[in-house]
Amino acid sequence: MSIQFIRRGILVIVIGCVVQTMLSSFWFTDRPGYKKLKFPYKAAGLSPEVAAAHLLSRFTFGATPGQIDQVVQEGLENWFLKQLEAKYPDDSLRMMLRQYDALYLSNTQIVDMYPRGGREVRMAIKDGVLNKDSVDKQTDKKAYKVIVDQYMKDRGLKPQQELYKQFISQKILRAAYSENQLQEVMTSFWFNHFNVAMVKNDCAEFIPNYERDIIRPRSLAKFEDLLVSTAKSPAMLYYLDNFSSAVATDTTKKDWKGNPQKQKQLQGLNENYAREVMELHTLGVDGGYSQADVTEAAKVLTGWTVYPMGDFDNMDNARQKISADSSKNPGWVHEGDFLFNPRRHDMTQKVVLGHIFYAGGGYEEGLELFHILSHHPSTARFICREIAIRFANDTPATSLVEKMTKTFVQSDGDIRAVLITLVSSPEFWSPQAIQEKIKSPFELAISSVRSLNVHIDDPNALNNWIGRMGEKIYNYQAPTGFPDKGLYWINTGSLLNRMNFGLAFAGGRIQGITVDLLSLNNRHEPESAAAALEIYGRLLIPLSDALQMQKRLSPLLNDPALAQKVSAAASSKIISENGAGNSDSLRQASIAMTQQRTKQNNTMLAQVVGILIGSPEFQRR
Amino acid sequence: MATRRGFIKGSGLALIGVGLAGGIPAFAMKAALWKKKIGPYKKTQTLVCIFQRGAMDGLMAVTPFTDNNLMVARPNLFMTAAAGLAGGNAPLIDLDGRFGLHPMFKGFEPLFRDGRLAIVHGIGSPNNTRSHFDAQDYMESGTPFNKGTSSGWLNRAAGLIPSEQKTPFQAVSLTSALPRSFYGDTPCIAISNLQDFALQLRGNPMSIKSASTSFEDLYDQTTPGLLQQAGKESFDAIKLLKQSDIKNYQPANQAVYPSTALGNALKQIAQLIKMDVGLEVAFAEHGGWDTHFNQGTATGIFANNAADLSNSITAFWTDLGSYQDEVVVMTMTEFGRTVHQNGTGGTDHGRASCNFILGNKVRGGKVHGNVLALAVENLEEGRDLAVTTDFRSVFSEVADNHLGINDDHVLFPDWAGSRIGVMKKPD
Repeated sequence: MSIQFIRRGILVIVIGCVVQTMLSSFWFTDRPGYKKLKFPYKAAGLSPEVAAAHLLSRFTFGATPGQIDQVVQEGLENWFLKQLEAKYPDDSLRMMLRQYDALYLSNTQIVDMYPRGGREVRMAIKDGVLNKDSVDKQTDKKAYKVIVDQYMKDRGLKPQQELYKQFISQKILRAAYSENQLQEVMTSFWFNHFNVAMVKNDCAEFIPNYERDIIRPRSLAKFEDLLVSTAKSPAMLYYLDNFSSAVATDTTKKDWKGNPQKQKQLQGLNENYAREVMELHTLGVDGGYSQADVTEAAKVLTGWTVYPMGDFDNMDNARQKISADSSKNPGWVHEGDFLFNPRRHDMTQKVVLGHIFYAGGGYEEGLELFHILSHHPSTARFICREIAIRFANDTPATSLVEKMTKTFVQSDGDIRAVLITLVSSPEFWSPQAIQEKIKSPFELAISSVRSLNVHIDDPNALNNWIGRMGEKIYNYQAPTGFPDKGLYWINTGSLLNRMNFGLAFAGGRIQGITVDLLSLNNRHEPESAAAALEIYGRLLIPLSDALQMQKRLSPLLNDPALAQKVSAAASSKIISENGAGNSDSLRQASIAMTQQRTKQNNTMLAQVVGILIGSPEFQRR
Repeated sequence: MATRRGFIKGSGLALIGVGLAGGIPAFAMKAALWKKKIGPYKKTQTLVCIFQRGAMDGLMAVTPFTDNNLMVARPNLFMTAAAGLAGGNAPLIDLDGRFGLHPMFKGFEPLFRDGRLAIVHGIGSPNNTRSHFDAQDYMESGTPFNKGTSSGWLNRAAGLIPSEQKTPFQAVSLTSALPRSFYGDTPCIAISNLQDFALQLRGNPMSIKSASTSFEDLYDQTTPGLLQQAGKESFDAIKLLKQSDIKNYQPANQAVYPSTALGNALKQIAQLIKMDVGLEVAFAEHGGWDTHFNQGTATGIFANNAADLSNSITAFWTDLGSYQDEVVVMTMTEFGRTVHQNGTGGTDHGRASCNFILGNKVRGGKVHGNVLALAVENLEEGRDLAVTTDFRSVFSEVADNHLGINDDHVLFPDWAGSRIGVMKKPD
């Protein structure tokens, strides 16, 4: 095999074609009998409204005002099939995202534009802008920083934090406003399944495009395609160290470029990825593999690494050497950011899960391995169980998992087919599923935004709250991803943060978001706390028994004694502030009291909504 | 669950609320009569556990430096105890002529010489999994061959402590999420920052009161289960913490905590201990030990982690002052790392590691356990430091001795091994 150089432009087209083919090859509406698709919610005793609310609670980040009725009108099945297509144009979201220029960069552009590890300083020294001695002595840090900042500006370089800020902002905006909600939900699901984390410096800068190019376009495609694509992505190659894994060599040897090896370049086997790909991405820990399988799989994947990118250090040199070597020697594979380096590959015979990889193989061995893994019965069951946990409940019925597993196997790992089986199963509509999932902090925050039509100008402060509640997105260190179970999210500290989030959110105390509660009620102020509870309770907690909630809360909010005490406390404060005595100050006091009352009503409204968001019912979905 | 309405409401409003919703339930009446005093509690014995996530390389932390096999297996990672041979780097701290402490653990040396700090080497799990997730899961559940165990060993420990006082701060994890060790039936809490531990309400006092009462009622009356239980625990804890000045805490004895996640966690544990809120089991985490790549030696990734761990623990110990008698600190990690260095300047997942135990009741000044010569025939699966001490042996001895637990069948079901004498015999 000679080198397969594929230019970026061509690559994009190729990927585009692949996605297109995937869409048309499985297209549910083309299938005979698809019109018979009928979700069995009636048999479960659910009204279309309740069923729609349940469906939306699982396959969106929260129902927007009026959405439940729309879905009932459209038909639950039709809505779901449309969401599986994920073809809504999302024009307004695109407009919102235009402010974030980093979202459209390639990995190479990111590497060049967002230097890390002090590269900007080395560049400034090389360009004679900075004096090396002054850097070493760090005499005047402030002046030094000014020079570096100016240098970065002049060269069009930007700090990495800016990249991550933009990336996280777009995720929040997509989750809140994308019309292709199911695709966005599945993007979160698969990202967490194939978790990578920004806490690992080497992989952080590649995470934005990992989600954009690898996960999102395949979130409703075939599992094998997802698996192979994640394996070849720089984010995963760096996160689980496979980029460095190579056939063991003598440490005294020179490297393939002919240079003596430095500590950093020492070649050898690293089995981190090989282990996690079996344990976490495919078979599951009880999926029937041994330590020997892990080591052998690691050997199969030696040489799977990242193509040198960027215009710094000796990257160009490295690229030229690869080009020269590959024109003479077979086995190299270069696709986009991925590089298979045959010189780092272990050519001996390997055996993984009883399958023999004969000596002398190359890149195709890895593909074969992923084919075996993605078609292993343990994988089908493991993936389907995880999907069932995400969408049905934390302990899904075996019967449900078995049905989904069967579909997974029969459809060659088609994620859309598996989801259809899930939603067509009575288990999905059973009391064991309805309102049984606990929202993650991200889900809590985004569902608050969606339920109340909240406008987000700047998602940063909202993101900080999500982190404080226990979900620092893109930063879960372990390859497991966040555990998807209520017990992980709910504990004393996090629950309190959730209540405080509700109060801050409704009270307009989170920067960058605008909550306009009155607009949801035709600009009318609710007449009483009970009325407010009814109006906003319906929006936020459509599935819960509003009457019961009202019973629990309204006595407190409507207690005449409480109202009296509140206004008494307020007026005594005003009178004392204005100095009671003459009629003029009394008149002023009464004006002030009216203003105070309006303010009080707004506070009351925000408080009712804040309590609703912090209530146990809103933590469920 | 509904009958466990532990706290009497501060305000009568809540009871009116319940009353209007359909008569005061009998349990609420009962609760109203049972007025419990909120702290201060009697001084308690506290066990502080620190989980080093990622698997610490025990052979670098406490190196059997006289073993030639190790030198051969780790041409780039082996460190020496001889200053003259360390090439300008800090050498290992020679503990007993055989084991050398990594130089960045230098804060531990006086505690070791003083007989307060013990090391157990060759400690690990009987289950030979090399998956972080699994090994942590097994170690934290305390049942190395049973994935189905729903509770964590520290939660069971908290439940077994024979104390008459029950407080919301009996078991506290200084983490944003509840660790696996704390899963279970005994109420435990996770707090990442004590200062945030209050309802952040605005407005006049009356509306603040009504909001907080509303939350409390909603959680109290929701379907029994996770949310109801966590809600109750939250409100109990808020009330207790309100009674102290957390913001302006000054460590005692000029202790200086590193401004790291671990340093902050231990500082807050010290605060809780000194507040006498009844803390008996505390938990903190320390990440970054998964050194597959460029592990370093006297400096580098491992060294930085070691410095953080040792500086945080010694600051904590200094800060405790007269409370030292009541506290034992124990570190743990899911497994050790390969004897051989890998091809990328690091080490891969292995088997046994070592741990540190600090306290006045500890038989310190000694490297306990059994580390065989690292010849290939002595290694597990020919590659890893063999597990010669079951972690349950050490954990149970420490917990039993320090916390007065005497039911190991509950603490570590299906374990019946013997002790290695890491704690002094109780008086």
